[in-house]
Amino acid sequence: MTIDSKADADKPTRRSKLTSLTDAMTRVEAGQLVALGGLWFHNNPCAAVRELARRKIRDLRIVAAPPSSYAVDLLIGAGCVSHATVGHVSFEHLGFAPNFRRAAQEGAVRIVDADEATILGGLMATVEHLDSHPVTSVKGTDICRSPAAPRNRDAVVAPLAMRPDVCILHAQEADRYGNVRSLGTPFCDPLFAKASQYVIVTVDRIVDNDSIRTQPHRTTIPGYLVDAVVEAPFGAHPCSSHGVHVHDEAYIRSYIKAGASADTWNRDFLAPYVEAPTSLEDYVDRVGGATRILELSEVVR
Amino acid sequence: MNGYSNDELMTVLLARELRNEDLAVTGASSLVPVAACLLAQIMHAPDLTLITPAGVVNPAPSRLYRSASDGRWVEGAEAIGTAYDLFEMSENGRLDVMFYGGVQIDRRGNINLTGTGYGADGRPQFRGPGLANTSFAVVSKRILLFSAAHTPRTFVEKVEFLTAAGHLNGPGDRERLGITTEGPVVCVTPLVTFEFDAEKCMQVRSIHPGVDPDDVVRNTGFPLHPASWPRTDAPTSEELTMLRRFVDPSGELSV
Repeated sequence: MTIDSKADADKPTRRSKLTSLTDAMTRVEAGQLVALGGLWFHNNPCAAVRELARRKIRDLRIVAAPPSSYAVDLLIGAGCVSHATVGHVSFEHLGFAPNFRRAAQEGAVRIVDADEATILGGLMATVEHLDSHPVTSVKGTDICRSPAAPRNRDAVVAPLAMRPDVCILHAQEADRYGNVRSLGTPFCDPLFAKASQYVIVTVDRIVDNDSIRTQPHRTTIPGYLVDAVVEAPFGAHPCSSHGVHVHDEAYIRSYIKAGASADTWNRDFLAPYVEAPTSLEDYVDRVGGATRILELSEVVR
Repeated sequence: MNGYSNDELMTVLLARELRNEDLAVTGASSLVPVAACLLAQIMHAPDLTLITPAGVVNPAPSRLYRSASDGRWVEGAEAIGTAYDLFEMSENGRLDVMFYGGVQIDRRGNINLTGTGYGADGRPQFRGPGLANTSFAVVSKRILLFSAAHTPRTFVEKVEFLTAAGHLNGPGDRERLGITTEGPVVCVTPLVTFEFDAEKCMQVRSIHPGVDPDDVVRNTGFPLHPASWPRTDAPTSEELTMLRRFVDPSGELSV
């Protein structure tokens, strides 16, 4: 007998954290520090950032996993970002991140040059309840002159505690209580969840609490760290969702091409893929449908 | 042609630099170094541990995937680390080998992945992708550099932004900052294998089969000792057979 089925009708029931994408994203407001999960173009919370772009949220400060990609580039391209604390932003072998690159070159967004030690050090300071976390391995580079790398009394680089207001992640499975199961690499996501004040996770599918309980060792972020769960099938497209589908190489190439100028970006990306879709389901149809996404592993090298 | 691609050549040459029991970590766009580690495990380094930038430990893929953190590297791997595990290595320096490439690589082996053409306002004319982990250049016991592009724009006298530390401004500079590791030891390109001389300047260790020495001088943006450089030993048929049959059956390195 499970916990769920033991509940009596007259006793309070456990609170579901399941909500809609639209409702979850109302949590994000101008000026906040927002952490974006995933790594490169894998496991990014893509549907969530498109919703922020659609709502034209402004002046966000963002931080992402040290290797980042689509989520960072899209929010910058949509004009949502004032500051970006980033290590690496690219589409790897597919090309440069076009909006990130243009914004950095034009000075439209303040780029804070960081790396793994400075970003993770800042998050770890928060989870350790410290003002800063020294990192002895950041030496000899121009990153040491970045605001991401202040010195402490001992002249050691010691990133200041970073506490994102909201953290947005995409994983493959969760139950309605927010117990998250990553089918691939969780990477920075658990640390982001621990360091952030409010944690939103979109997942490809909601599973029963019983399913989580049969394999508790596979839970990568326990429910007590999570505030909102959204069922968002293919919510990582055009990034991959590890263990569910691979990234959409052809679509990413057209994304990069659209990012070449503000005009093409508005016409070829924001209008058709951010503004036009009426729902995530509609978006998935517009990019070729669920079957096509699931079959990408046959063609993507 | 030689019967092998530039990527296959660089893979074989990097594999030869790897030692048994090395713990090697790869970065972005790292098809060649990952393939080199997998080939070395087959050829001479069965105890080598490979960790991908996604934290995947000892992947055993049925083919190569072009993205370093493609989810398909996970299947058959021995463990999945998190960013925290990479942080641990960034600080504790557990790793023996890190691979770096660059938008610019200078004669001291310093790497620029951040930007070029910086104006007085601090903005670059060209903004590069940046680098996820700069610490590994400090703590990895040795660094293997590689670059598919061998041009005067890539191989420059001095990097415009120092993203990852090579030999900095020369001998003794790493030590002065308290860095105890060796730094870059080689740089493999489609034309040559560079090594570092006593002054910690890149010099040609060997020139690859069929390459004209004048092409090397013309395509390197810093002076090289004129010498009759030894020829690189071409990939053997065994190396190429193992690479194509067991590491890269779908031919990602040959296109």
